[in-house]
Amino acid sequence: MATLEPAVTPDARAGDPELLERTWGSPPGLLGWLMEVNHRRIGRRYIATGFALFLLAGLEALAIRMQLAVPENDLLGPEVYRQFFTMHGATMMFLFAVPIMLGIGIYLVPLQIGARDMALPRMNALGYWVYLIGAVTLYTAFLLGVAPNSGWFNYPPLSRREHELTIGIDVWISVVTILEVAALIGAVGLIVTIFKQRAPGMSLNRMPIFVWSILVMSFMIVFAMPTLMTTSIFLGLDRRVGTHFFNPGGEGDPLLWQHMFWYFGHPEVYIMFLPGLGMVSMVIATMTRRPVYGYTPVVLSLVATGVLSFGLWVHHMYATGLPRLGTSLFTAASMLVTLPTAVQFFCWVATLWGGRPRFTTALHYALGFLVIFLIGGITGVQLGAVPFDLQVHDTFFVVAHFHYVLLGGVVFPLFAGIYFWWPKVTGRLLSERLGKLGFWLMFAGVHLAFWPQHHLGFMGMPRRVYTYLPEMGWGPLNLLSTVGAFTLAAGVAVFLVNAAVSLRRGEPAGDDPWGGETLEWSTPSPPPVYNYRWQPTVKSRTPLWDPDWGTQPVVTGLREDQREMLSTTLLDARPDNREILPGPTLVPLVTALATAVPIVGVLFGLHWVPIGAALFFVAITAWNWPGAMPHRTEEPGGREHRLAQREREREEAEEEAGS
Amino acid sequence: MSRRLALDVSEYPALVSGPRGGLWWGMLGLIVIEVVVFGALIATYYYLKFLAPHWPPAGEPLPKLLLPTVNTGVLIGSSFAVYYADTSISERGDVRGLRIGMGLSLLLGVVFLVLKVVEYSQVEYFWDSHAYGSIVWTMIVFHSSHVLSVVLKTGVVLALSGHGHWSRERAQGVKVNGIYWHFVVLIWLPLYITIYWTPRIHG
Repeated sequence: MATLEPAVTPDARAGDPELLERTWGSPPGLLGWLMEVNHRRIGRRYIATGFALFLLAGLEALAIRMQLAVPENDLLGPEVYRQFFTMHGATMMFLFAVPIMLGIGIYLVPLQIGARDMALPRMNALGYWVYLIGAVTLYTAFLLGVAPNSGWFNYPPLSRREHELTIGIDVWISVVTILEVAALIGAVGLIVTIFKQRAPGMSLNRMPIFVWSILVMSFMIVFAMPTLMTTSIFLGLDRRVGTHFFNPGGEGDPLLWQHMFWYFGHPEVYIMFLPGLGMVSMVIATMTRRPVYGYTPVVLSLVATGVLSFGLWVHHMYATGLPRLGTSLFTAASMLVTLPTAVQFFCWVATLWGGRPRFTTALHYALGFLVIFLIGGITGVQLGAVPFDLQVHDTFFVVAHFHYVLLGGVVFPLFAGIYFWWPKVTGRLLSERLGKLGFWLMFAGVHLAFWPQHHLGFMGMPRRVYTYLPEMGWGPLNLLSTVGAFTLAAGVAVFLVNAAVSLRRGEPAGDDPWGGETLEWSTPSPPPVYNYRWQPTVKSRTPLWDPDWGTQPVVTGLREDQREMLSTTLLDARPDNREILPGPTLVPLVTALATAVPIVGVLFGLHWVPIGAALFFVAITAWNWPGAMPHRTEEPGGREHRLAQREREREEAEEEAGS
Repeated sequence: MSRRLALDVSEYPALVSGPRGGLWWGMLGLIVIEVVVFGALIATYYYLKFLAPHWPPAGEPLPKLLLPTVNTGVLIGSSFAVYYADTSISERGDVRGLRIGMGLSLLLGVVFLVLKVVEYSQVEYFWDSHAYGSIVWTMIVFHSSHVLSVVLKTGVVLALSGHGHWSRERAQGVKVNGIYWHFVVLIWLPLYITIYWTPRIHG
């Protein structure tokens, strides 16, 4: 049932797995590893790197919680504590959440839309290398004891030179800039792929909800992240060449940083959890064996959340003395953004209500998300109101709020997604018993760790203090919170055991262990390098649940001795052209290194900027020089030219008939 | 085994141009990202302006108009040259027209850069003088580096034409380079109005 067999093949060799394997495979060895352009291998690297950084950030969090467990503790000390909470925040925001969601998108989106690869595979590889360089740079600085130490949002004046003489802030600026470059590259690649590579018949209104969530996330990255790059560069200029952007003495203004940072920072939160919402929709649909209730409102809610998130940034700045009228408007906007989220909640509840849910581990995590995210959302509404915010601003109440939002909105959906797609990625099942044990530990851990922090906030405990006096009475709740953090960590450890056991001797999963409805479940687990023996076509939102799925036409006629896939039109996904893709190459790695030279080199001297720019020019010229692909090197008059010529004549005839 | 129909796509073209090709969309993505960056620069300019008691700061003259206005004309002219190059190759297959257009646009781009250097070697303030100097110099250097990079890119397109790479069917690279050039020209107009006219209209 899973493999599609066309009845008519114009070429006897069509759908030849061995030939496809040779064409789409990668060369062996280290060199092949460095030349990789396959979207699933790159997606896997993103996910593995992001997960490793998640574990590191988790260890940092445990250290922070141990320091705070009892009053007047001297485990870390003030300077190390500063570095730890900055590294924890920066890692979770920049190195874990965004890249791992991009990675899951890069892995799954081409599968879900029936493509063989991403539209711009070399750019996809470039994005990963740039991300890796950023991660390695930040953790190298951490090991050398010069990690950034002014919090993940790095406010001036604290982060301007006169206050901060270590190189840590410059590391933050460089690393954040390079990570934004990586995320932007990934986002553009995903947008182009979703626009151009969908299976014939998959018009925009038939796209899986997860693909929609990745599309909205990618657009948000494109509109939000450049602002952070700009303002980081302002800060770098202030520190290195004496500009006055944030210097009141030179008619600049430190609040400019906060505006630009949160114009990025608030959408950033939504960038991180929108893919989570998409994953939850997929898990709930498959586990209840019915399409998500209200596809259209769910999709419109995703889009509305994305748009509204750009109008909320000032609610991070209520305590800065901005005009009252302005803050009131942002209070209203903050209330407004709850509506699209609520619409999705009701749609999920309606889906579960009318179905017969199978309570797998994946669905446990999806339901855990509903509970935790709901609580985080409610405290978010409270914080959106100016008078409430002014009472608890910069206290542990805020810490509790955003950990509920981010653990609920990012980590739980991520684990739901991991349990859901693990069989597709590895070909093996995870243990449901260990999975549920891990879930309950994590679920209990979240509440134990973060519920008491609401109370600590009310009691006046500020954020970012490295210790407190016993007389404050904050000791017992802090200890409880630390116990909760270790419970949460135990849940993650159970997952690691589960994953290791599954990789060694997990049960084979088969193509479709859950009876899924989207295209990825129609190909073997793990999928072959070319994803689909024949690119599929679809005629509904849930193609695998169509009664006549077995006779759905497939795409043939693509050459298999070179990397060809079908491109379709943007709205209706009608077949449009054959896209010929480049094969494995070192160019992305070289370009990533050239990108890193100016951005990381600036830590050692400004002269690295022009040197890096020149190297980048050389790399990008090599990138665009016509390669071995026939349509780029063929003499005029060859087959590709003739096909293009015929196409043009057809278009001209159409235009004439039209006028 | 059930019988399936096949959708035969072997006759679909691989050489396409404009929005039919993925590369065009990738370039559009880069342009949108850059528009956001330029938008952030312009927003910063006005943010700092409305905080400052005097703009430009007391003692600084208003920016001179003549040279930058002429130079804006030069930049707009280069866009027409790029358009001529693009239509020469993609509508007529005329490689000579492509080279003339590209060569002229390169020349105008270089003239723009030289005049910018002349203009800013005459101003009395620097980026470290005050916030006004910081944002104006940042805008100018950032935009000029875009002109420089699109000039270099166009040089590559021109070099490829010597290898006989471009034809009427294979013109996507020229087109995609062209939309980036037009972007660099168009984005200059709001910068020009911001830097040279804002302090005159609302001091």
